[in-house]
Amino acid sequence: MIFVGKEYTDLGLSPEDMQSRMEKWFAWGGKMEQAGILRGGEALTPQIRRIVGKNRTVTDLTSAEVKEIVGGYYLIEAKDFDAVEEIAQDFPDYDLGNTVEIREIMVFDK
Amino acid sequence: MENKLVDHLFRHHSGKMVSVLTRIFGLQHLDIIEDAVQDTFIKASLSWRKEQPKHPEAWLTKAAKNRVLDIFRTLKSQKNNLPDITQGTDAIAINELFLDSEIEDAQLRMIFTACHPKLDPRDRISFALKTVSGFSTKEIASALLTKDETIKKRLMRARKAIHKSDIQFHIPQGKDLPMRLESVMEVLYLIFNEGFHSNSKTQLIREDLCSEAMRLCKLLLKHKQTRLPECYALFALMCFHSARLEAKTSVDNEVLDLKQQDRALWHFPLIQLGNTMMHKAVETDDFSCYHYEAAIAAEHLKARTFEDTNWSKILKWYEALHQLQPMPSHLLTMAVICIQNKDYSKADTYFKQLRPEDLEQRAYLYYAAKADYSMDTNDKKNAIKSIDKALQTVTNNLEKDFLLKKKADWLKNF
Repeated sequence: MIFVGKEYTDLGLSPEDMQSRMEKWFAWGGKMEQAGILRGGEALTPQIRRIVGKNRTVTDLTSAEVKEIVGGYYLIEAKDFDAVEEIAQDFPDYDLGNTVEIREIMVFDK
Repeated sequence: MENKLVDHLFRHHSGKMVSVLTRIFGLQHLDIIEDAVQDTFIKASLSWRKEQPKHPEAWLTKAAKNRVLDIFRTLKSQKNNLPDITQGTDAIAINELFLDSEIEDAQLRMIFTACHPKLDPRDRISFALKTVSGFSTKEIASALLTKDETIKKRLMRARKAIHKSDIQFHIPQGKDLPMRLESVMEVLYLIFNEGFHSNSKTQLIREDLCSEAMRLCKLLLKHKQTRLPECYALFALMCFHSARLEAKTSVDNEVLDLKQQDRALWHFPLIQLGNTMMHKAVETDDFSCYHYEAAIAAEHLKARTFEDTNWSKILKWYEALHQLQPMPSHLLTMAVICIQNKDYSKADTYFKQLRPEDLEQRAYLYYAAKADYSMDTNDKKNAIKSIDKALQTVTNNLEKDFLLKKKADWLKNF
């Protein structure tokens, strides 16, 4: 699951609001861990270094300068897309307009 | 994954850290400080997702300390004359400022700053809620039932006043202290009342404001210079009122008056705490209006049923309160109590001291009381006349329905 959207820092959330969101993240992470499906995950900092084109043009950006940013991801093990969709219901930040993208790791037959 | 965090940990910690950092860097850098503190919460909310620290509060404090160094670098690059805090004795001194007792001291300084006479009284509440209590502008706006923009303007104005008058970040000493403390208590009283008396807010916002006012009042009581009888009285008053907070609204979020409240829902431990505070408040003979207001609230709580209320005693306290702080609303209340007590001649003396226009938009309360008075003294004609006047001036729909129903009852029994 990849989390895309706005960063907390750009939304001016109050400390109270951040705490309640974080508690939802705890609860969600705990639930996945207990179910034994959590394989990893990271939160990403809001700094971006972008390298584009054959000239390898480099730009440094922050989350405030882009429309959407990948904020982090969870790696989980599940049967199929539907099973992950079910798990993704608990993502805490839908109300901020943020998105969960479900992607599957490609497995090659040997 | 650990269990839940302490309620309001972030909000309270924000107030603490903004205060401590302001003590280190001064009020002129408040903007940078507030941003920096906000940053530590963002950092926490991201990194704690993976693993929650064993001691969240200590983690936050450490993060704030690290931010001190960041801020210092920022300020240094702006060519400010600052001591080198990264090493030596200054660094030790800064560590000490993060001790619990020093954090409380810093918070008190912030409260006193918020209540400085150079700040517009309306701006004081917003500024206190923002800096000391860690509310966002949006939260303040919804708590005070105003627009986001209005709060932003108030905060800007408060900041400008602080810069312009070069207000110092300290607890005033000597003869400045009593006056400023009065203003501090008034702000806490107003924050509490915003929570307790507003009818249109959710229970949650009401509780937030009331408990915030109590938390700050407790800070005053912890400090030896501000531990005064009137502070104890104010805290007692808050305890007595809070004890009734839950009973104050019905299941449908309707406001219930004292007559309708389920007294079994009153919170006994808070009443007890209020009593303890009240004992401390009356150790000297110097009584403030908070003493009398607390005494009135306590008297209401003593009655097992509404009918048991000792109105003569309440009237006595109101008289004392009115003498100390004359207000038209006190006169009206006293008139209503006399009607309740069937002492009509005394009620009349209070009515005679009052003009309905003194009560401004609440003039309808005068007419409604006058109507009850006439009805009880068998003057039905004037009773109807007065209730019609009340109906002409009332704006709140709930109150209007109440009056219409009363009038209909009276007409039926004509």
